[in-house]
Amino acid sequence: MFNFLLQGIFTGLIFSLVALGYTLVYGVLRLINFAHSEVLMTGGFAGYFFLHYTIGNHQVPSSLWATIFYVVLGVIISGAGGTVAALVIERFAYRPLRRRNAPKLAYLISAIGASYFLLNLFGKEFGRYPVATSQPFNNHVVVTLWGGQITMYDLVILVATLALLFSLDRIVYRSKMGRAIRAVASDMETASLMGVNVNRTIASTFALGGFMGGAAGFFLAINQGVSNNMGFKPALFAFTAAVLGGIGNVRGAMVGGVILGIVMFTPIYWLGQPWLEEVIAFSVLVLILLFRPTGILGERLGRTA
Amino acid sequence: MSTESTVPKRRYWALNGEDARRMCTAIVGGLVLAIMTGPEGAISDPTYGVKTSLLTGHVVGYFIFGVVLGCLLTYRAKVKDGTWRRVRTARRRTMSERVTAFSSIWRYAFLAVTTFLVALISLIFADFSGPVTRNKMSVHVLEHQFLYTRTYGYLVLAVALWFVVVNQVMQLSSFKLRSLPRPVLGLSAIIAILLFSLTSDPFLPARFSWRALDPHASNSLFHHWTTYLWLILGLAVTISWLFRRDPIDGAKPARRSRALAVTPEMRIITYVAAGFIVFEAPKYLSLYWQISLYQQIGVFCLLAIGLNIVVGFAGLLDLGYVAFYALGAYVTAYFSGALPLHPPFQLNPFFIIPFAIIIAMLSGVLLGLPTLRLRGDYLAIVTLGFGEIVYVLANDWTQVTYGSAGTGAITNFNVHLLGINYVWNPVNPLSYYYLMIGILIPAIFLFDFLNHSKVGRTWAAIREDEVAAQSLGINALKYKVMAFAMGASTAGVAGVFTAVKVGHLFPNTFVLQLSITILVLVIFGGMGSIVGVLFGAIVLQWLPSYLNFHSYFGYQQADLYLYIGALLVVMMIFRPQGLVPSRRRRREILDAEEGLGSADALGAITQEQPS
Repeated sequence: MFNFLLQGIFTGLIFSLVALGYTLVYGVLRLINFAHSEVLMTGGFAGYFFLHYTIGNHQVPSSLWATIFYVVLGVIISGAGGTVAALVIERFAYRPLRRRNAPKLAYLISAIGASYFLLNLFGKEFGRYPVATSQPFNNHVVVTLWGGQITMYDLVILVATLALLFSLDRIVYRSKMGRAIRAVASDMETASLMGVNVNRTIASTFALGGFMGGAAGFFLAINQGVSNNMGFKPALFAFTAAVLGGIGNVRGAMVGGVILGIVMFTPIYWLGQPWLEEVIAFSVLVLILLFRPTGILGERLGRTA
Repeated sequence: MSTESTVPKRRYWALNGEDARRMCTAIVGGLVLAIMTGPEGAISDPTYGVKTSLLTGHVVGYFIFGVVLGCLLTYRAKVKDGTWRRVRTARRRTMSERVTAFSSIWRYAFLAVTTFLVALISLIFADFSGPVTRNKMSVHVLEHQFLYTRTYGYLVLAVALWFVVVNQVMQLSSFKLRSLPRPVLGLSAIIAILLFSLTSDPFLPARFSWRALDPHASNSLFHHWTTYLWLILGLAVTISWLFRRDPIDGAKPARRSRALAVTPEMRIITYVAAGFIVFEAPKYLSLYWQISLYQQIGVFCLLAIGLNIVVGFAGLLDLGYVAFYALGAYVTAYFSGALPLHPPFQLNPFFIIPFAIIIAMLSGVLLGLPTLRLRGDYLAIVTLGFGEIVYVLANDWTQVTYGSAGTGAITNFNVHLLGINYVWNPVNPLSYYYLMIGILIPAIFLFDFLNHSKVGRTWAAIREDEVAAQSLGINALKYKVMAFAMGASTAGVAGVFTAVKVGHLFPNTFVLQLSITILVLVIFGGMGSIVGVLFGAIVLQWLPSYLNFHSYFGYQQADLYLYIGALLVVMMIFRPQGLVPSRRRRREILDAEEGLGSADALGAITQEQPS
């Protein structure tokens, strides 16, 4: 059981990373970014190619320094991939509509179109079947706690995710860019009157969320390999996590991801059917909407992010 | 000073940054198209696809396309913002004015050219409808088309339709077709109808028969007598048209500005022609087209007009629409005893339809109530999740659904009543097609009626300004949930039809891609307009079926969803109202862009608390 709990926590951390993308964009634009799953996928592919062309079929590096090197560089490259994807999506699926002040429905439809386009483009260019990724470290069991095994992979996720979440928190709450994001989220028109470049701020929001999503894609790629639809389900779970934590609330997304991971995976110990994860996650989503639509930490749409 | 004199004598050809941007966008678009239609890559050689698309001859056509598109866009924008002016466009001329402006030789040249084009189109159409086994569209085959009387039927039909249009234009202008008096027109219509009825006679040798070489067309339940029905109907209409009273002088059509004002005769003729196409034409199609007419076009028309209620009428977004379709199909399987769970009683599929409606509607209400209470855009992702859950349940819950192995056999539609015993047979797709028409036409009229009733007006009010609507005492939640549930129940009915036809259900029929496809049908045609949605469904479902045999411009079946995704984005950027928009929806979207109203119902029911 403890194994499932741990799996929940570590997977939940990845959800947190992805959920940040949703929550940041929702905070600023009040829109669900349906194309975020493709950000994840792009990050995964970037990570795959990085590992493929550096490690390839060679020996899995065993030294600690090599692990740190590959993981840090991999996260940066995947994050950059995710950022590029998010910026492309913003540029082609959102900005033309924003310039015309289109209705919200149009944004959602164009985002889902962009998502489908990218999904199938990657499928076309890189094949439609999952491919295993070269491992940047030896995934051995490090600690065994009450029957639950913590592997190297889990540790890497823990450290990297916490570092990313912490730095994002700093960026949003302490940096000038973060202040601009919060200002735009709070009131776009007033912010633009105060001299904030709204377009650039929105792009930076997408970029931040994209970086986190891309990094999450890197971890998913190591664990499950890459395929063109690798992003769909984690993104759906991550959205649930964002709503669970309170959409528009950055810290809420972090907490929501972990809680959702625990709630999703632990019951599998008793139920035994892995496909029930999705059913549980979805039920959680509907139940939150029924009973506490503002999420655990509360929505902060007015003074978001 | 008149407007003419303000037109600059010399055109102003300067290009600015905006034009360069437009040009670049068009060229990049062309290159993206080249990649989209290029060869498949593989992960072992990740640059192969892009490299081959962009560095071989494949790219040339698309590059030229991009350049031409860029030039056209630049030209249009320049003319629109007045930087360039066409010399003689003081105002836009209507079609009728253009026709009357021709000198008499050009008039007849225009007629000749359009006639030739119409004939060519009808020839190609006749060729499409021929047997699949022939290699179509080659010049060789087009020549031989004249051996089949079918071709003459299409020719006459096309010319008759062409007359409807030309005559309309002529009526508006002062230009009369002197060489074609009314009796000649009437006579040609009668000949056309005779040709149609004569050539569908199954006892004529294949060479003369209109549906030459097609062995399956005579299996239809409704074969012979309907032809004569159409003959009588067509004759009646033609005769009444020949002997109609001329409109009293001065009683002009109300809106002359519209190029094609609809007169009552034209309306009747259009209905008859449409009825003919819908009821009679499928009999002369090949088996492949008969099957796709039901399974690809008919079912999807039903799904699309159902989703249109949600997206078009109520302005919500439903991304898990296929879940309700799956529910309907699995309910059918359940009541046929095709699932591991045995039903208390087995039912004829006709009686399953109400169950499917109720179950799909209930699940719609259960899903919609908690979600729509909040923001409308949550509905999109909740339905996305729901679609995924239904798929997962169908695929993995083997104790209930047999999982990915597929269900057992599902009972066919059958009638055993008053001495009539008829079982629908999958070998004859037409029998299903007529059943589908039988449910589609009432559904179209019902939804059209709804849209123009109090409910439809309420939906419009909620779309345009939800807060204002609520302040007038409208319960927005109720109407949103209602639209959502109605859309769901339509999908449920479509599910029954699919399940019965395919006989065995497999979960991978009901993937998310299908929801997106249906959404595209609605968006492409024009959300909120039933005609538009049907147009979108027919065109976009027909096209892939057609392209399965003919790969133009490097089209590959596997890339269908790539094109669909791109189409969604492009439609949203350039023409969000769709190709055949409803006038109201179009104005709403344009108004919303000016900051008036919202054009969707995605706002919050409970207002966000400022904090």
